[in-house]
Amino acid sequence: MLVLWALLALFVVFPLGALVARAFFDGGRFAPGALLAIARDPNHLRAFGNSLLLGALVGVAGTALGFLFAFTAVRVGLPRGWSAVLDAAALLPLVSPPFTTAIAIIFSFGPRGLITWHLFGLKGFTVYGLGSTFAAETLTYFPLAYLTLKPVLAALDPNVEDMAFSLGSSRRRVFRTVTLPLTVPGLGNAFLLVFAASLADFATPLILAGNDFPVLPTQAYLQITGLFDFKGGAVLSFVLLVPAFVVFVLQRAWVGRRYYVTIGGKTGAETAVKSVAGWARWPLLAGCLAVAAVIGWFYALLAYASVVVALGANHAWTWVHYRVIFTEGLKAIRDTLVIAGLGMPLGGVYGILLGYLVARKAFAGRRAMEVVSMVNYALPGTIVGIAYLIAFNDPPLVLTGTALILVACYVFRYSPTGIRTTVALLQQIDPGLEEASQSLGAGSARTFWRITLPLLVPAFFAGLGVVFIRSMTAISATIFLISINWTLITVRILENMTELSLGPAAAFSMLVVAIVFVVMAALSRLLRRFRTPGRVMVAGLLGG
Amino acid sequence: MMAAAGIRLERLTRRFAHRVKGEVYAARDVSLTVAPGELVTLLGPSGCGKTTTLRMIAGFERPDAGRVLIGEEDVTGLLANRRNIGFVFQNYALFPHLTVFENVAYGLRVQRLAQDRIAAAVGEVLALVGLAGYERQFPQQLSGGEQQRVALARAIVTRPRVLLFDEPLSNLDAQLRVRMRAEIRALQQALSITAIYVTHDQEEAMAISDRIAVMSRGTIVQEGTAEALYRRPASEFVARFIGRVNLVPARVVAAGGGHVEVEVGDHRLRLAGVEAAAASGEKVRLVVRPEAVALAPAGGDGLAGVVRTRVFLGEKVEYQVGVGDDTLQVTRYAGAADAAFTPGTVVTVHLPTAGVGLLPAGA
Repeated sequence: MLVLWALLALFVVFPLGALVARAFFDGGRFAPGALLAIARDPNHLRAFGNSLLLGALVGVAGTALGFLFAFTAVRVGLPRGWSAVLDAAALLPLVSPPFTTAIAIIFSFGPRGLITWHLFGLKGFTVYGLGSTFAAETLTYFPLAYLTLKPVLAALDPNVEDMAFSLGSSRRRVFRTVTLPLTVPGLGNAFLLVFAASLADFATPLILAGNDFPVLPTQAYLQITGLFDFKGGAVLSFVLLVPAFVVFVLQRAWVGRRYYVTIGGKTGAETAVKSVAGWARWPLLAGCLAVAAVIGWFYALLAYASVVVALGANHAWTWVHYRVIFTEGLKAIRDTLVIAGLGMPLGGVYGILLGYLVARKAFAGRRAMEVVSMVNYALPGTIVGIAYLIAFNDPPLVLTGTALILVACYVFRYSPTGIRTTVALLQQIDPGLEEASQSLGAGSARTFWRITLPLLVPAFFAGLGVVFIRSMTAISATIFLISINWTLITVRILENMTELSLGPAAAFSMLVVAIVFVVMAALSRLLRRFRTPGRVMVAGLLGG
Repeated sequence: MMAAAGIRLERLTRRFAHRVKGEVYAARDVSLTVAPGELVTLLGPSGCGKTTTLRMIAGFERPDAGRVLIGEEDVTGLLANRRNIGFVFQNYALFPHLTVFENVAYGLRVQRLAQDRIAAAVGEVLALVGLAGYERQFPQQLSGGEQQRVALARAIVTRPRVLLFDEPLSNLDAQLRVRMRAEIRALQQALSITAIYVTHDQEEAMAISDRIAVMSRGTIVQEGTAEALYRRPASEFVARFIGRVNLVPARVVAAGGGHVEVEVGDHRLRLAGVEAAAASGEKVRLVVRPEAVALAPAGGDGLAGVVRTRVFLGEKVEYQVGVGDDTLQVTRYAGAADAAFTPGTVVTVHLPTAGVGLLPAGA
């Protein structure tokens, strides 16, 4: 327990403290001047406003799209195959590097885009700006809303709707007065998730927003990598902290209030969902399929771009991009796999250990530990990255440039999924099981090893899977932490993008998607082999 | 087999902090003695403290005061795994990741028995509960009744000194409940193992127990055999909780010599075999069970009443009969002469004169 606290203090509290200190203090003196200067800088003010605007737009659109998908998947009575298609379409953006959509948009609508240039012969069309950033982020983050809303809608008892029908309501009225209100907490939660993801995303705006639409995370990034101004970066990310914190608090309040779905005691008779008219399912499905088609098109385009010389200019087949990434890029691939491989077991163990302590043991500071363990997860990656950079750049602890800092960053940022899964699983596991073991003479150590731990295996794999996937795909935090010694695929993709060598970027992206899919498939296979109560969603991951 | 040990509870008390009510007693000065080989039921409505009491006996919860003795050993300070008890949980608490065999063998493995002895003991006990051949199944592949048997087998295979049951049948359907309670009783008697059984179902308590301790608000309000509780409840709570009852207001006119003469309305009744002390002039309530009331056509000696409702239930008929401002519940066998009065009929009500309990007016 002390070890856990020490680790949390070192890798969560200390960096954040260092960040705040850097933002507010100057040479040991309290100097909020820098903050005020930011507040007066119209450029930064605009970036702040833009960030909020973008987040709100993406939040609304992403939630709407997520609702459309979730509603179609669980309330319309589609044949099984169709909902698998929807699942796949929603999963793809979740497990991809964060800027794959952005690359695909440039391929389609960029200066030499397949659609703008080749199809319509448009010249001088600018893809960069709010519109494309908004579109890319919506497509990237709507799966978060989908995953949040699907269980909410699935748990809505159709008997309640039947009741409304029996009282003479029309379908539309039932939807408006029963279905929708019962989903409102879920919608709120989904909006906040998507909003936060957009707020934290800096890869997409970096590529698509262009100069006329600055947002905070990219500004902070440029401040540090372009101007080496740590203080400016710290201040900017502190400003970003404010809306992130508001979202965090709001979300806890929403979740704290619980969804309405648990009102019934016994479940009612099974009844088919009648709230959707037969004819209405087709436009709903068509809407979803259109979105899925766009996503499919993007990925097909990416795959295509990775095997032609230069998409938009020269469409001759070639393996040269793959040769590039497996020669020049080999180090990045190897580094990424090493770091993901190291972080994976550590994150898995850390997740169930902390989850077990928080859920089952009573000790002073239990709530505090839970909250602290969530902090790095809830904060935008840019903040975490900058905080780590500031904290571990100078003595007493110089970790910048090591693999350790990258592993630590991933473990403490992405293990909360494992922690939450553990807690959720433990809530489903009857304490009576542990008592039964005790009553049969087993001590607490034996009980933990023989009863509790085997039941937590799914949480272990879920936690470990998320850490791995995120280690493969994330960029926002770790871009500040890479070095000559240790680099990452995602960072190489970004470099390729800025150098306009889009072929290798596409090839790298395809590789990441492939690796992640293989690992996910292996994990879900493993999970299926364990008999345990409750199911675990490997894909409940937050982007960034 | 280990010799059956008795259980003694001495003023067990368990408090907890309640958000609204402040400090609340889940159990308060609970004292109880269970003889070796006896099965005693803790009976009461939900929230009466029966499960808390059982969990303190098991060692899952610590009493704030009082002692638990098993045999003559004070186990109050021992952890559950040192008490040598068997516990059957309401939801069975079977280990979902272990087979039936491994579930049952768990306690034996803790004792580090040799593999062949474990196999023999598990086989024997599974045969005893009628689950031979189920060794390799997993709990979730079994029906509720089968899971119940596994839980039972797991609890008895280690030959515990006492068996504790926490509402073990409440998750089964009505028919299975009746069958399982008979099986549990038979098994407990065959093994002559001391047992405490918690339930809120009075019929189940009556069917299974040697003695019943009725609990209310954290204390034992009365204990005794099912019959004693039914015939001579010490309070209105017990009277109403066990079976159906009419509490008829009356006034003692004369008492003495094993007889009590009471006045019900303007009707006099001479009761025989009353144990409760009663003083002349005292206001009391008669504990009259519905099946002890007889009806007759109007006229003759008795209380005048009007049949309000009549419900035919197969082997019996249930009436509600208005007497003055009160309503009496009356149960008659369907074949009896007084089983056919239709609602609205004016009848004469005969209260019993023997086997009637007396409660003070306020109890």
